[in-house]
Amino acid sequence: MIRRLRKSKKDKGPSPDILMPPEGVALTLPVAGIGVRTAAQFTDIVLTSIAAVCLLVLLFTLELASPQSMAAIAVLVFFSIGVPYYVLAELAWNGQTLGKRIMKIKVVAHDGGPLSAHSLVLRNLMKEAEIFLPGTLLLTLDAASPLETTASLIWISIALLVPFRDRYRRRLGDMMAGTHVIHLPVPVLLTDLAVEKPASGADGKSFVFLSHQLDHYGAFELQTLETLLRARSTPTATAASRQTDAAIATIVEKIRKKIGYAEPVPSQDRLPFLKAFYNAQREHLEQRRLFGDRRENKHYAHTDKDI
Amino acid sequence: MDGQDLIRSARFRREREADWRRLETLVRAAESKGLQRMQFADTRDLAALYRQATTSLAIAREISLDKALLGYLEALTARAYLCVYAPQERLGGLFGRILTRGAPEAMRRCWLFILLGFLFMTLGALAGYLLYFENNDWFYVFMPSEMADGRGPGATTASLRASIYGHDSGTSGLGAFAAYLFSHNTRIAIFVFGLGVFACAPAILLTFYNGLILGAFLALHVDRGLGVDLAGWLSVHGVTELSAVCIACGGGLKLGSAVLFPGDRTRADALRHAGRDAVKLALVAALMLIAAAILESFARQLVQDLTLRFVIGWGVGAFWLAWFVLGGRRGR
Repeated sequence: MIRRLRKSKKDKGPSPDILMPPEGVALTLPVAGIGVRTAAQFTDIVLTSIAAVCLLVLLFTLELASPQSMAAIAVLVFFSIGVPYYVLAELAWNGQTLGKRIMKIKVVAHDGGPLSAHSLVLRNLMKEAEIFLPGTLLLTLDAASPLETTASLIWISIALLVPFRDRYRRRLGDMMAGTHVIHLPVPVLLTDLAVEKPASGADGKSFVFLSHQLDHYGAFELQTLETLLRARSTPTATAASRQTDAAIATIVEKIRKKIGYAEPVPSQDRLPFLKAFYNAQREHLEQRRLFGDRRENKHYAHTDKDI
Repeated sequence: MDGQDLIRSARFRREREADWRRLETLVRAAESKGLQRMQFADTRDLAALYRQATTSLAIAREISLDKALLGYLEALTARAYLCVYAPQERLGGLFGRILTRGAPEAMRRCWLFILLGFLFMTLGALAGYLLYFENNDWFYVFMPSEMADGRGPGATTASLRASIYGHDSGTSGLGAFAAYLFSHNTRIAIFVFGLGVFACAPAILLTFYNGLILGAFLALHVDRGLGVDLAGWLSVHGVTELSAVCIACGGGLKLGSAVLFPGDRTRADALRHAGRDAVKLALVAALMLIAAAILESFARQLVQDLTLRFVIGWGVGAFWLAWFVLGGRRGR
């Protein structure tokens, strides 16, 4: 769905969500947006600041060092939660800092190859020029010096605009390092609808569909039906299920009319009917697919004529 | 139900499902524990099962219309891919390789940009020097007051001499180290590197400005007949520190020139290419700044003898030069 939407919006080049690993089988890894990355950045800043303050308070209460050395240690600690923290965290956790782990996003190599230490160092060195310095400048803007203020505002807006203009939402550091940031996909294996018990009506009679009855729909309609059946199989609130009962009655009638299935379907048989239809339709479409006849949706016949 | 009356894609899934489940547990283990701490057999299986899963995904895209299966395989393969192609290098080996080979080679490749960095600094120093002799008040224009530390055209010669050969009171050791590490020049170095990407100009201006300060400062002391003494005082750390600023400027210029003149590549591509060397220059500059801070906080106050100051400063400088020129050359 996401790919379809994207394509319709602007039709240039392949989708940015596609990453080509060395194995040559394209993977869909959705590009992380600006919002989630900003959130991860803020989480990182908050977490590291809390850790640094805790460490300093601990050292101060233990009185291990003289006040002068304490000032030096404080400077060093606050330096190390900058660029060094991000470089080491991303090296240790394979392209994730604490904030990125919480937000479930990750740095990947833009060309699909392995993530190199070089690129992690570079993208985080640039973080200083792109995020931290503009950020501190923004906090210390001074209306008294208009020239400096304009200069820093221009700088900040350039640094901010780059990721908005880029299709992969890369900031300058990402471009230099050849990386971008993606959402981590979550693998959940649902049961195969086609394996479940052979669908038959309440009277033990199974539904039979003829080949010409299965020529009306394509993959899109099949997968929509799949989504509906899966939603039915999960336990839901009664109100929602009553609503879908009415919807399912309508769907069954529509399918019956479209494919010309003469026999009426009693209300208790509606779900088994849909499951049986799903199985038969999927087997039919997959078989057509093996013969090179890909039916993306119900308009497959018309699109063929147009071309 | 035996597998015979299932449709083809369901049979395909049934035959491979156990392998996918195993890959899923391996991926979870690799993500939580890290590849280094896994059993040999497990990592071997992870790589093999990952390749199997990519094949399964490629086949499933052709033969299956089961959206749930496609989504699962896609996500599983992607997760496994991220585990299999994780950075495998250890930090120690990484640092060793950069120090022995990567950094000196990058320095030699970028000699032109580094030379430009030195050139802008020298031009700035020259301008500052000449302007001071034209009118002493230029000193106050260039010099930030917190850096001058009371040393200016108004100060007496004796006080200038004292600040060159005196002991700093108060700070010492670690405190002084940190203070010097995060002093003016370090900030300048970070700025010139990071801002170089915005079309070179900020990096050049900042380096030139740093040169102006240096020149004016030098002129003030030459004016009072303290030129040689100041040169000695500056040599101890300045050779290292100012070189670091110039090298950082070189890195920034390298990035900026990739933005300005990308050649046949796209700008993003050119930036990526330039980044490989620029990041090494930045690391070299950082290392030199740390060394300069050590020299400044310990050696400068301990060593009061003029000749020894020259020897230490330029000796360290010669060491850097030897590293850049000779490091990483393979014997034949």
